[in-house]
Amino acid sequence: MNKLLAEQSKKIEEKFFAKGKPLEKLYPLFDAMDTFLLTPGKTTKSAPHVRDSVDIKRVMIFVVIALIPCILMGIYNVGHQVQAAKAMEPSLLGAVGIGLWKVLPIIIVTYAVGGLWEVLFAVVRKHEVNEGFLVTGILFALTLPPSIPLWIVAVSISFGVVIGKEIFGGTGYNVLNPALTARAFAFFAYPAQMSGDAVWAAVDGFSQATPLAVLSQADRGSSAVDALAAAGYTFQDVAMGFIPGSIGETSTVACLLGLAFLLVTRVASWRIVAGCWIGVVAMGLVLNMFKGPEALAYMNLPPHWHLIMGGFAFGSIFMATDPVSSSATNTGRWIYGVLIGMLVVLIRVVNPAYPEGVMLAILFMNVFAPLIDHFVVEANVKRRLARVQQA
Amino acid sequence: MGSYTFTKGKDIKLKGAAGDEVSDVLSPRIVAIQPPDFRGLKPRLAVAEGDSVKMGTPVITDKEIDGLCLVSPVSGKVKAINRGLKRALLSVVIENDGKNTAESFPSHAPDKLAKLKKAETIQALLKAGLWPAFRQRPFSKIASPKDEPKSIFVHAVNTEPLAADMAKILDGKEKFFQAGLDVLTGLTAGKVHVCAKSGAKPEILTNAKGVECHTFSGPHPAGNVSTLIQAVDPINKGDIVWYVEAQEVARIGRFFLEGTYPQQVVVALTGEGCAKTGYARTVQGAAIKELLPGTQFEGKRCITGSVLAGREIGADGFIGFYDTQISVVPEGGHRELLGWLMPGAKKYTLSHTYLSAFLPEQEASLDTDENGGHRAIVLNDTYDKYTTLDIVTYFLLKAVIAGDIDEAERLGILECDAEDFALCSFACPSKVNVGAIIRRGLDVIEKEG
Repeated sequence: MNKLLAEQSKKIEEKFFAKGKPLEKLYPLFDAMDTFLLTPGKTTKSAPHVRDSVDIKRVMIFVVIALIPCILMGIYNVGHQVQAAKAMEPSLLGAVGIGLWKVLPIIIVTYAVGGLWEVLFAVVRKHEVNEGFLVTGILFALTLPPSIPLWIVAVSISFGVVIGKEIFGGTGYNVLNPALTARAFAFFAYPAQMSGDAVWAAVDGFSQATPLAVLSQADRGSSAVDALAAAGYTFQDVAMGFIPGSIGETSTVACLLGLAFLLVTRVASWRIVAGCWIGVVAMGLVLNMFKGPEALAYMNLPPHWHLIMGGFAFGSIFMATDPVSSSATNTGRWIYGVLIGMLVVLIRVVNPAYPEGVMLAILFMNVFAPLIDHFVVEANVKRRLARVQQA
Repeated sequence: MGSYTFTKGKDIKLKGAAGDEVSDVLSPRIVAIQPPDFRGLKPRLAVAEGDSVKMGTPVITDKEIDGLCLVSPVSGKVKAINRGLKRALLSVVIENDGKNTAESFPSHAPDKLAKLKKAETIQALLKAGLWPAFRQRPFSKIASPKDEPKSIFVHAVNTEPLAADMAKILDGKEKFFQAGLDVLTGLTAGKVHVCAKSGAKPEILTNAKGVECHTFSGPHPAGNVSTLIQAVDPINKGDIVWYVEAQEVARIGRFFLEGTYPQQVVVALTGEGCAKTGYARTVQGAAIKELLPGTQFEGKRCITGSVLAGREIGADGFIGFYDTQISVVPEGGHRELLGWLMPGAKKYTLSHTYLSAFLPEQEASLDTDENGGHRAIVLNDTYDKYTTLDIVTYFLLKAVIAGDIDEAERLGILECDAEDFALCSFACPSKVNVGAIIRRGLDVIEKEG
């Protein structure tokens, strides 16, 4: 069976895609489909003669698998929020149906438009089609409000793929996380469709403040937890994700399932995730010291709330851990993670312009990751020099 | 004296370990001298096809190092001179007449060896064709007799997959080994470091006289030359150390004691492709076909050295000069359906993305398949898990790719060789050949001086 397929594929390659054949230019596309179906089957040319069984295709697919809980939960919750907004009878099947109706087009547009750019660049620049796009695409879709117009999805993912990644040379060479670059573009270019209280449930004219918005509007000196409770948000609901928000990010529990998978398979760096969470708790505790009758309600919010609100769980697990745009040293990963966590809380609490700070914190630290690494690497150079002089 | 333990790295437990049996192929029909074994050699032929040679007759000389030569390990006739691309000399094949007619060299009493003058020793080693046993760091090339090494390392610990056991290599040769060490001490004002696996046999490895003995433990690459040097006597820019394989030390000792070219070596025959694994006592440069009777070579890759660091030689190949191991493994190239999705209970991986990673470890059956397409480096945290060197591999790699030689030197490229990154290349999901890139950087630095 495999042999037969391999032979057929070889025939197609030789007839259409090989050098000098009519579709030669589209070879990367053929290669992508061919190696999707069958492993490449190339052998090593020099030492090391044997290689590990893992490849990038598998690694990337594993990240997508880790996102399945978020995808499923997102689909359900989008429908659930519509049902709640329209005061419909809650039903699981109904919610999933509505959710699919809203979410699938967003995912399809993301993959179609982004994939087109990916293939176009692969063809022009003669590199392989990178599986990294499978991750970028789904990540981007999951960070959008369910009411987003599809043309914005198309424009933004184009920006993310082209400006965020391809102009630097493609996957592996980008400075910023492409999915977040796309989202940041949408966020700043189309604020009315990306933020505010009206976009989180896919129902026209319906508006509901997210927990983050509730807190940033709460009266000075009042209790943050009471303000959330008054808006109908319990810790359990927020953690489970039955709240308005971007498609895939509301459920911390779903994100944690994904994290468990990523850690068991050792695909994501646990240092970055741990760093993020430590940073949030630390900064939350620091701000707690400033609570008082005149202080922002946010100042008295127990830090564990920060972990479950907004896109923090999703961002720290799936976005901050992008190995290409994060720090590339173990010490650097800790620093990078902790600073992301601290920035998230700072932006949320102290900056009145943006209720959510995860996207900006991660992008900001993406930019600083090379600087962090620079110091870690210099320390290595100094250490080795000193050791040689001692000896 | 020092004892060093490493935790990073990994021993790949391959199928086809050598076992205990030693066979004798003491007079192989053909042997070869192969210039590609020697880094830095600029070979010039000293014989023509059909010439008669004795055991110890120079066959190839060097265009740069005065007096350096490679000699025939047997007596007989030059059967073939093989050249490759751009007429590069690949091998000189000698047909063994089995008589071992030898060139004669002076012999020495064991107690005189440590007192030999340095210049005399060097001349004797050059003439005997044993000088190439001395290699230097940086660059892993044949040492220059004019250099002053700050120390000499004896490489007696090998952690490569299915590596030969030192007890077999040096079996019965303790006397020669000690004699060789005595000769080495005369070549440096610094120390001679004998580096062995902790608990290694024979005992001479840990109680040799006149030298410093160190022990190493931990998974591969704990036994790599770079690891030993960085642990015991690290080098900075401008420093030179020499290193010699343990088997070569014994051969050098034997040469000085007996006054004839020491033709005999022991190699491990390993890998699941061998019909029968084991050890062979044979002649340096012997044809591997004669060592592996009954082995089918169709669809297999023959490597002198290990699967991680060795060189492909083909079924008609010969043992490499420095190698104590032949590996024969199946060739890959079989395409599998939806490989990226399958659970893979039998797939060997250092990652945790196959089911096999969660099952009890079994002896691995690995073929030469790359198991994936080439991509840009994405998982940059893979490399640091698999090198024992205090080197930021990912950044060194980037410096070399960017052509930033100064930065590469600052990051320690001179302390490394390609083999140190073999496990990084093995584990890299993007299938980047890290070692080859590092080697490219070293070549540029060497050329530009």
